[in-house]
Amino acid sequence: MSEPLYQLVYYSRNKVSGQDDALEAQVDSILEASRRNNQAVGLTGALMFNSGCFAQVLEGPLDAIEATFERIQRDERHGDVSLLALDPIATRAFPNWAMGFVGHSTKNAKRFEQVGVRSGFDPQRLGAQKVHAILRDLTLDEEGLAERV
Amino acid sequence: MSVLSCLSTAVSSSALQEVILDGLLHPVLVLNSDAEVIYGNASAAACFGPYLIGSDLNALFPACPDAIACLHARRTTFEVISETAGRFSVFASVSSDGDSILSLIPVVSDVRSIVETDELTGLIKRNGLRGFLEQAFAPKGGEGGLVAVHFLDLDRFKVVNDTLGHTIGDQLLKKVAERLLSVCRKQDCVARLGGDEFVIVQSGVTDLADAERLAARLVDLVGRTYVLSGHAVNIGVSVGIAMAERNQAPRDLLRNGDLALYEAKRAGRGRFRVFEPGMYAALRLRRELEVDLRRALALRQFDLHYQPFLDLETNRIIGYEALIRWEHPTRGCVSPADFIPLAEETGLINKIGEWVMRTACATAMSWSEDMTVAVNVSPIQFKADGLVQTVLSALAFSGLSPHRLEIEITEGAFLEDTPNVLKTLHALRDLGVKISMDDFGTGYSSLSYLQKFPFDKIKIDQSFIQASAGGDGEAILKAIASLGLSLGMAITAEGVETAEQLARIRGENCTHVQGYYTGRPQPADRISTTIETEAAGD
Repeated sequence: MSEPLYQLVYYSRNKVSGQDDALEAQVDSILEASRRNNQAVGLTGALMFNSGCFAQVLEGPLDAIEATFERIQRDERHGDVSLLALDPIATRAFPNWAMGFVGHSTKNAKRFEQVGVRSGFDPQRLGAQKVHAILRDLTLDEEGLAERV
Repeated sequence: MSVLSCLSTAVSSSALQEVILDGLLHPVLVLNSDAEVIYGNASAAACFGPYLIGSDLNALFPACPDAIACLHARRTTFEVISETAGRFSVFASVSSDGDSILSLIPVVSDVRSIVETDELTGLIKRNGLRGFLEQAFAPKGGEGGLVAVHFLDLDRFKVVNDTLGHTIGDQLLKKVAERLLSVCRKQDCVARLGGDEFVIVQSGVTDLADAERLAARLVDLVGRTYVLSGHAVNIGVSVGIAMAERNQAPRDLLRNGDLALYEAKRAGRGRFRVFEPGMYAALRLRRELEVDLRRALALRQFDLHYQPFLDLETNRIIGYEALIRWEHPTRGCVSPADFIPLAEETGLINKIGEWVMRTACATAMSWSEDMTVAVNVSPIQFKADGLVQTVLSALAFSGLSPHRLEIEITEGAFLEDTPNVLKTLHALRDLGVKISMDDFGTGYSSLSYLQKFPFDKIKIDQSFIQASAGGDGEAILKAIASLGLSLGMAITAEGVETAEQLARIRGENCTHVQGYYTGRPQPADRISTTIETEAAGD
């Protein structure tokens, strides 16, 4: 019998927002680090981002989830991390690692299109569970706040 | 020829040779060709324990597997680290028969390695911290920057321990320690003083802003959610900062940090405060006041004065509010605004409140039978469980009829544990006691309090009565008064000082009035004469 699966959902204000180049550099580094770290410990999930925030669903063994979340908490680039859910799950909603831009900004949608394609990010999956849909809506709200600044 | 017999030859008395070796402050070891200890002086025994003889270098210094190699390579100096005794510079020489003679000189600059560490978090402990501070203060060549001490106390740690258990509590402490280490630099020192108290010594600080930046980061970082064994855990941290001054004793620096921490907690926790010289004086004054306050009751320094309130319809005094006075032999008259908060903080308010209740009830018995006595009750007294019993016993002891007692509470009573407060209020009401809401309009002024409990009376804070005519204050007064009217509650206007104010509140649905204009607070023995005078004037 394999280890029980958990799901952790959080979102955080993006402290690096403001400059497009900084966001792009950050997205690249996160994608690279996620690929490298998560696969080894059995984590999958989805990460949404825009100029306002990061929102993430992490799925996998509890130990790996806790260690990853702790790493995120210690990362100065994340501000106001809100933990939305931490629950045992029967099956993974995101069996692969995926990351993509979620937002209204057409400029950024174009800019980050390849990130979504490369990682197999499917925004449609976000409607499947209520907490994921909430997460998507929060992400959109945060983009709106950040773009107005 | 062994090294020891060499020594014996050189020094005529073997006793003297022992005295010399044991008199050395640093460990001296003699090892055979298998790197096993065949001799250790007294200092060595103190550092490495009584079972020294026969141990090999690996057993003594497990963290330094290549010590034996150094020995075999005939290296004359190398370093070793002992888990219990710290780091040493080793000076090695070899005797003619192949025994190695090692002088172990402690490396004092690396305090961390020779102090005890906390088993749970791996951080250094209190005595190690003191050593580190002394080190940090030692005169150095060149400018080493300033030193800041951060005193940390976790907020709500006890709740986590109590609700989720010690295992989770320990996991949390470990994560906190890791987070603290993650924001500190190598030259900084992080210590756990036990429980949920931590100290960080930040060195190489350029200015106060530098220290404040770290403190703000600590407050943010420690306050972020933890996930522990599937539980989401939230705590906070309060931080006190003290900047080290030249020639300051570590003990004073730690005391200053602790004082600043105390201020951070008093300001509402989850924040940092920087030590200021005034804090020590302020705390000392508070302590002295507390000492005096603790004995004031026994020394009978409290007295009650009584301020009349009038029924605006009949223009007659219908009762008195009991107001506490503290006459201190050297301080003089201490204002309740100065000692009541301290009494609440220390819990002394419960005993003082009990005395007020008994005294006021007893005094009211000397008044005519239609007079009410109003007594203020602190929110702290509601928390203490014994309030209903206190009132019952004061009534029984004095013989006062419950309907002549009016209890005044403030909104503060509702801020915590509202269901319990409501239960107490209903129990008091069931005794026949009246309940009024005091100082209405100054706090949260939540209308939901008025809905939660059917108060007999609302007392409108004096700031609205003393506000200028036609202004916002008057509009608020008008609104509260008509609200009271529609809820069937009496309305007392407090702080009426002039005829003009009295005339104004008459027009605003207020039912009662209290203030300097209609009567100042006065001692109990002058109340009865007031009543007589007033009766005579009718």
